[in-house]
Amino acid sequence: MANTNLIKDKYKLDIIKYRYFWLAFTGILLIPCIAAIIYLAVTQPNHAPLKLGIDFTGGTILQYSVDKKITTDDISKIRTSLEKTGIKNPVIQTTMTSSNKDAEVKNLVSIRTIFLGEDKDKTAQITDAISKDYQGAELVQVNSVGPTLGSELLKNTLIALILAFILMVIYISFRFQVEYGWIALYTLVQGSIFLIGIFAIRGIFFDTTVDSLFITAVLTVIGYSINDTIVVFDRIRENMRFLAKKYSSNEIINASINQTLPRSINTSLTTLFTLMALYLFGGSTIKDFVLAIIIGVIVGTYSSIFVAGTVLSIVKEKLAKKNA
Amino acid sequence: MKNKLILFWLIMALVAGSIFVLYKKPASLGLDLVGGSRLMLEAQTSDSVPKITPEIMDSLQYAIENRVNALGVGETVVQKVGTKRLLIEIPNITDTAKAKEFIGQTAQLEFKRPKPMPDGSIEWESTGLTGKDLKKSLVGSAPVTGEWIVELEFNLEGAQKFSDLTKELTGKQMAIFFNNQLQSAPRVNEQITGGKAQITGDYTYENAKEMVDLLNAGALPVGAEVIQEESVGPTLGADSINKSKVAGIVGIALVMIFMIIYYRVLGLISCFALAIYAIINFAIYKIVPVTLTLTGIAGFILSIGMAIDANILIFERTKEELKMGRSLYTAINSGFERAFTSIFDSNVSTIMTCLILYHFGASMVKGFALTLTIGVCLSMFSAITVTKNFMHLIFGTSELKYPQLFGLKKEDIENAYVATETKREKAKFGVLD
Repeated sequence: MANTNLIKDKYKLDIIKYRYFWLAFTGILLIPCIAAIIYLAVTQPNHAPLKLGIDFTGGTILQYSVDKKITTDDISKIRTSLEKTGIKNPVIQTTMTSSNKDAEVKNLVSIRTIFLGEDKDKTAQITDAISKDYQGAELVQVNSVGPTLGSELLKNTLIALILAFILMVIYISFRFQVEYGWIALYTLVQGSIFLIGIFAIRGIFFDTTVDSLFITAVLTVIGYSINDTIVVFDRIRENMRFLAKKYSSNEIINASINQTLPRSINTSLTTLFTLMALYLFGGSTIKDFVLAIIIGVIVGTYSSIFVAGTVLSIVKEKLAKKNA
Repeated sequence: MKNKLILFWLIMALVAGSIFVLYKKPASLGLDLVGGSRLMLEAQTSDSVPKITPEIMDSLQYAIENRVNALGVGETVVQKVGTKRLLIEIPNITDTAKAKEFIGQTAQLEFKRPKPMPDGSIEWESTGLTGKDLKKSLVGSAPVTGEWIVELEFNLEGAQKFSDLTKELTGKQMAIFFNNQLQSAPRVNEQITGGKAQITGDYTYENAKEMVDLLNAGALPVGAEVIQEESVGPTLGADSINKSKVAGIVGIALVMIFMIIYYRVLGLISCFALAIYAIINFAIYKIVPVTLTLTGIAGFILSIGMAIDANILIFERTKEELKMGRSLYTAINSGFERAFTSIFDSNVSTIMTCLILYHFGASMVKGFALTLTIGVCLSMFSAITVTKNFMHLIFGTSELKYPQLFGLKKEDIENAYVATETKREKAKFGVLD
């Protein structure tokens, strides 16, 4: 049952009062993100808004044969020495040939990295790094490989996402009201721009590349944001139904945001606990992925508290003026 | 109360069943987590295709991708290597040999015309109409004899070619070759313009099905041969995975501790509900089966986040109702009712998004959409059925004696006005004064 004593409830956060401040603040945060995205899209030859990793660009696979079995610790060691020589995010896998059953099984390490092409120096550097740890390591094969995620697949995914967005706007418009649908879409797009923008900035300054997991991270964040926004909207919808005669829409929106505040904070906290543990203690290969989701969760929670409701209150006011 | 006990035992039976499944069926994990097989495929030139062009490699890659996906192992990798090779990585599956055979099969469908030789024998000559011109194929059964046949449907260009060819060969024989083996050589009675054809050839259902699968996955534009086969370790690095496992467990423990500290008994209930949720979830992954990769696990983590969120929503709502002076039983019920609409709407939006992503997305995205859909559907069950059942069984219709159990202060409850019976009734129907 909706709480009928809204005014008696002290607002912990009077968000609506400072709504233009929050909108401006959000806008200012967005500027560097958009700038970085545009900068990369213009300056990069492939016009991607992010620095792309080997999943998208393809790269080189080097295979070394070594004379002992490679353990998990060895992989860590190789990773560290490769990163010291400036090879970023190498994919290191142990491999065993089984094509010829009679031949003795060879222990191989396969290293996937950016496209090396004719760059003999870099290859030599990698070989040096490997030989330091393994006497008699031998480069047995070098292959240039294409991207694992072709542009076709990427295009399909993007189309799917746009379709999904359209359907979502229709659903929310149907279950709530049309303006709720558009505002939900707005917060999602804005959240995605934040996430992509932050990685674009990292790309510019730290040469951080994104791999296919980044797409998953963006999807996860979108899923999380939809959930967050709908929870707040649901509360507004419920309060509007019961209290619209007694209170103005701004009061109701403010109260609804405050009522859902403990939930919003607790939910993000629980998610962040798991993610922070993964980030701090997890393996290096998933760090960027986890970081992307952490940023996304924070942005999602922020928008559900400070953006969704404020934009709704402004839209509601404009609509009311138009109808008056 | 009796119904609630029955429900409780039903839930327990489901858990027992899931544990049985978890115990019996092997997990299917992706390339990034456990590695798998790496095959190197080389395109072979032939008389009809003397040179391997980049376009041919593109369509070869596309066909191989389709085919690998038809194996149903999920989350595979197909990359071009140099000018005429493809690198295929398939996660650990039990039958690599079969996969290799399936992938390597050329599935070349060709229509040929007879060419009389000087010595009086007949040789078959290519016509240019091949599997490339197909739109799709189906397994069918012949109308009179009832034997299994393969039905072909040509695309626009193919239909034109087929029509021209049947016109040219009216009164003569036309041969259909699959992988250079003569399937049938029917006599062409008249020009066929509908763009449809059939192949008869004493097929068993399995034969016909395999042929149809291969044709639909896309015939390989050129012959291809597996020239190298290796087993590979996980792409995420075994070192990294071990660390992440530990980190994941630490993370879950932190969440549980937080829930118990903040929501007390309710938190404890949600921990049990979430454990049940996880067990059933993983059992479903094994039944479907879902090849779990990091992407899939991200979907799972997101769904578990939403499941926790559902619990938090319900608990917050129940606490609010308690603060307003409702009896415990009513507070729990209306807490659920009030939280339900937002859980429902957010879950429906998520499921809709996932269905579309599953339908159109790349294989990696599919894995994510699948685990998230399963997780979200299950989280509704977990929150609405399991958590509610536990709460009712534990608290029953008793009065709230110890508000601390809910993380509430004594004053919160004492200050609240006592709801009258009529108000309680009204609340049930959502009527407000």
